[in-house]
Amino acid sequence: MGIELLLALITGAALFGVGIYGALSQTNLVMIMMGVELILAGAMVNLVAFWRFLHPDIPAGQMFVLIIITVMAIEMAVGFGVAIARFRAKGSVEMEEAAELKG
Amino acid sequence: MSAQMFFIGFFGLAAVWFGIVVFRTFSMVRSALALLFSQTALGAMFLSMQAEFLGVLQIMMMATEMSIMAIFMVMFMMDPGGLGEMDMTHQKRLSLIAGLVSFVGAVAVAVFADWGPAASVVPDAAQQTVDLGLELLGRSMLIFETAGITILTAMIAATAVAIQSVTRSNEHGH
Amino acid sequence: MTSVLILLLLALGAYLVAVLEAWIASGHLSLATPMLAGIALLGRESIVPRKPDRIFFEVGPVLLLISALLAAVVVPLTPNLIITDLATGALFINAALVYVLVALLMAGWGPDGAYAMVGGWRFLGQLIAYAMLIVMPITAVAMRAESLLTTQIVVSQAGLWNIVYQPVGFALFFVAAMALAFLPPFDLPTATGELAGGVEAEYSGVRLAVLRLGRLVLIITLAAATVVFYLGGWQGPWLPPWAWSALKILAVTATMLLAGRAMPRIREADLLAWCWKLGIPLALLNIFLVGVLVLVFP
Repeated sequence: MGIELLLALITGAALFGVGIYGALSQTNLVMIMMGVELILAGAMVNLVAFWRFLHPDIPAGQMFVLIIITVMAIEMAVGFGVAIARFRAKGSVEMEEAAELKG
Repeated sequence: MSAQMFFIGFFGLAAVWFGIVVFRTFSMVRSALALLFSQTALGAMFLSMQAEFLGVLQIMMMATEMSIMAIFMVMFMMDPGGLGEMDMTHQKRLSLIAGLVSFVGAVAVAVFADWGPAASVVPDAAQQTVDLGLELLGRSMLIFETAGITILTAMIAATAVAIQSVTRSNEHGH
Repeated sequence: MTSVLILLLLALGAYLVAVLEAWIASGHLSLATPMLAGIALLGRESIVPRKPDRIFFEVGPVLLLISALLAAVVVPLTPNLIITDLATGALFINAALVYVLVALLMAGWGPDGAYAMVGGWRFLGQLIAYAMLIVMPITAVAMRAESLLTTQIVVSQAGLWNIVYQPVGFALFFVAAMALAFLPPFDLPTATGELAGGVEAEYSGVRLAVLRLGRLVLIITLAAATVVFYLGGWQGPWLPPWAWSALKILAVTATMLLAGRAMPRIREADLLAWCWKLGIPLALLNIFLVGVLVLVFP
């Protein structure tokens, strides 16, 4: 089991951990989205490492990463659309104040 | 200690460090650009793992996306320069614990699983690009087309949510 | 060895761009003006604003120079004179040039000044306009060459240059390249007269010299990329390949510098409207037409 694979997987795990910390601890929608970007980046690193060190002859591994890049772009686009709409309605995108549906 | 191991370790460390800076700094623009450089370090990591097309694509797209995130931060946040040093977090202990637990869990899976022998023969970059293209438009055509339709839907949805209706009187701003 | 030679040629090219720009602006040709202006600039006082964002203030101009140099790494001047022939060269040029945006954002936000900040964010709006118009014509060019190698792209034009094969793509790429290098009429970030220099406003001394040098290298790199993608690179009848490359790159640079002289600066809203409502449909049409041509005439 190569040391390079382990290094890449640990990097992916660290990015995932930092992303979860950010997504759970921030109050602003834009910062939460940055946390989600880091989580997806961690997943991408893992995928490329698995492709390179375990199955380099299967291009479907790279294709999966392309789909994740696409998902990141889509999630940012729709997320910022929602942020604009919220900002216009309420004047801020703080998630602490977004408690209208709370029980 | 091969060159590849050094580069993977170095760029991985850079990516994680920039990722931590994102949430430690008070200036919002620094936060967005730190995320940008974290993604660039990841792109460099892909390049050092010989996934050339993915590395170049990651570097290119993430620069644009994170710059757009920077301008949204300047638009929506109260203190984009960070000079007020406001603390904008909540449930700190819970999120710290959640982050640490997920990190430790992922590392445990990585260390204790038996991944098998590491492959050493990688097709060269031009051949990889050709194979990726043939795969996208051949075996995975359905996935590719679905991704295309999803992007179109997302574009229409984002535009519909964000658009303001233009009445005759406020067209052209007067 | 090749790298040193190419960097020297790039420096010479940037110097010639400065001479051309001074000639076009003032009307008389003087080969020593850029050197004297550069020495004068280096001798001036380096004023630092009161509360800059120090990291961005310092890194901005340097990043502009680095990104332009990185883009020049994959451009072939002759069949053997290329620093590194990456397998995804055509895409790498675009990837390196996106960092021009990051550099201008840093240079805009760093000095903590109103004019610089407005100039920096205006460039982001300009990027949203021109980004697709750069990538889609590159896609069409790569379709004809069936490869992303820049040398292969030049070789594929042996029969017919791409400017004749895909004129719509050439027009879009040329306009988008001018917008990327923020040349007039797309010079919103450094709107002289309106923003008092915009992004360049708060820089002086060494940093301004680096910023201006980065801009010159960017212009010549974009001209070289245009020549490689659309004008057949080093191919031509009697002269040796390096002479053809040099002539074509200088011709494209002169055209870029002259093209916007008579037009007023294009407003942000108009630029976005034209690029998204006219430019992108044309780019998609270009890809479609090139696809049909590639299949019908093998």
